[in-house]
Amino acid sequence: MFICLFYSFNPVAVMASRRALKAVLIDLSGTLHIEDAAVPGAQEALARLRQAPVTVKFVTNTTKECKRTLFERLRRLNFDLQEQEIFTSLTAARNLLEQRAVRPLLLVEDSALEDFTGLETSDPNAVVIGLAPDHFNYQTLNKAFRLILDGAPLIAIHKARYYKRKDGLALGPGPFVTGLEYATDTQATVVGKPEKGFFLEALRDLNCSPEEAVMIGDDARDDVGGAQNAGMLGILVKTGKYRPGDEGKINPPPHLMCDSFPEAVNHILENLLGSK
Amino acid sequence: MAAGSSMQWLRSVKGVILDMCGVLYDSGEGGGQAIHGSAEAVRRLIGSGLTVRFCTNETQNTRERFVQKLCVMGFDISVSHVFSPAPALIHILRERHLRPHLLVHDDLIPEFDSVDVSSPNCVVIGDAADNFSYQNLNEAFRVLIGLEKPLLFSLGQGRYYKETDGLKLDVGVFMKALEYACDVQAQVVGKPSAEFFQTVLSDMKLQPHEVVMIGDDLLNDIGGAQRCGMKGLQVRTGKYSQSRNVEQLILRK
Repeated sequence: MFICLFYSFNPVAVMASRRALKAVLIDLSGTLHIEDAAVPGAQEALARLRQAPVTVKFVTNTTKECKRTLFERLRRLNFDLQEQEIFTSLTAARNLLEQRAVRPLLLVEDSALEDFTGLETSDPNAVVIGLAPDHFNYQTLNKAFRLILDGAPLIAIHKARYYKRKDGLALGPGPFVTGLEYATDTQATVVGKPEKGFFLEALRDLNCSPEEAVMIGDDARDDVGGAQNAGMLGILVKTGKYRPGDEGKINPPPHLMCDSFPEAVNHILENLLGSK
Repeated sequence: MAAGSSMQWLRSVKGVILDMCGVLYDSGEGGGQAIHGSAEAVRRLIGSGLTVRFCTNETQNTRERFVQKLCVMGFDISVSHVFSPAPALIHILRERHLRPHLLVHDDLIPEFDSVDVSSPNCVVIGDAADNFSYQNLNEAFRVLIGLEKPLLFSLGQGRYYKETDGLKLDVGVFMKALEYACDVQAQVVGKPSAEFFQTVLSDMKLQPHEVVMIGDDLLNDIGGAQRCGMKGLQVRTGKYSQSRNVEQLILRK
């Protein structure tokens, strides 16, 4: 009996009951880089990962920047990637707006507006909340509030509580979405991490089921918790916004914890690739 | 209710707590106007020998300025008999040796003149209106999340209120925002918190069953008071006189 219990908690044994790894989803901010500085060794680790028979995709809840900006920053930091390998919550939001055929009041940074080009925004009948410190003032929030009270759906790019900036922690969109939900007694539709739909959407064009994928990120709830809830394995890295004890905030706990992205790649290459 | 039994409890009444907005006056342009007959009624209550106190959740002004406004309307009210969330909070801060980081309306700051605000070990938010900027909220968040024991006080928990130029978000919205950001629960000071009503009762040196609360807000005035053991008398002015649907929204929670 004791031997069986030990065996069932062995991560290698767990993998033996899963299908071979086909895809690796990688968070950006806090995992590969922090603001304009790469995590030490991350570029080289990504290069090694690309030599393995897995597809790599970069997934992010970043709401302040459009895909092109994210791509250009990563290239400047010498990461090897293509723009189409990036999937963001902004893209997910745009898809939803098109599906519902609504005209949004976009509370997103000017720099993110590029990803919404082509959508009608005059006489709005929907509210999209991203992270927009420059626009989050009392007047604009009241405007959004009144629209929602009149029946406009509230769409949240994601509900992150906070994120890490160079000068410390900063409020994410989550608190403002929660406040507006309370004010209007409605519930927002959340399109970003940790929603299951976000991860499934990211894997859709990879022809890959969640059981064949692993997610690497620094946010216990949004990256690892969300991915595991969608059926993936999650690796929590202790960089970026990670704070000791975060791993205890999700159930089940992270499949694995690593100091940083390079260590996570080492683990994948050594333990998670196909049958020997 | 039988007339006989209602006369019974009236005889044991030794004190009255009056809500202000919606009972004594209506808010609006130019500071608002007195509800007809209210000033004289207040004078009669005080003259009758009953202990009279006043309750409000107003946090966009100091008590002094607020009472001044009422005096201009014809009321004879002394500041020390008016209970608003800020002084009640200050009492709590003193008792618990707390130093607050303040996110409140500029006009409320003087209320905290005697309070030590250095090295804050708690955060206080009030109806700050235009002070609810991302920068100010972020600052409050950073103080809160940096505390070993995050302690958040909210002066009231309203969702929104009506002003002449439309509906505006109230303090409760930003309380929820900070609660979510830090995964904590705020302590609400002001109606309908039991502690708030208890502060007034202690000042009156009366027991709950000896006091009647008069208010227009079913949940926050009447509900809150009755949960403490007082009797509640609801008036059909103020919030009561607004449309039922709006009332449902305003009064819920």
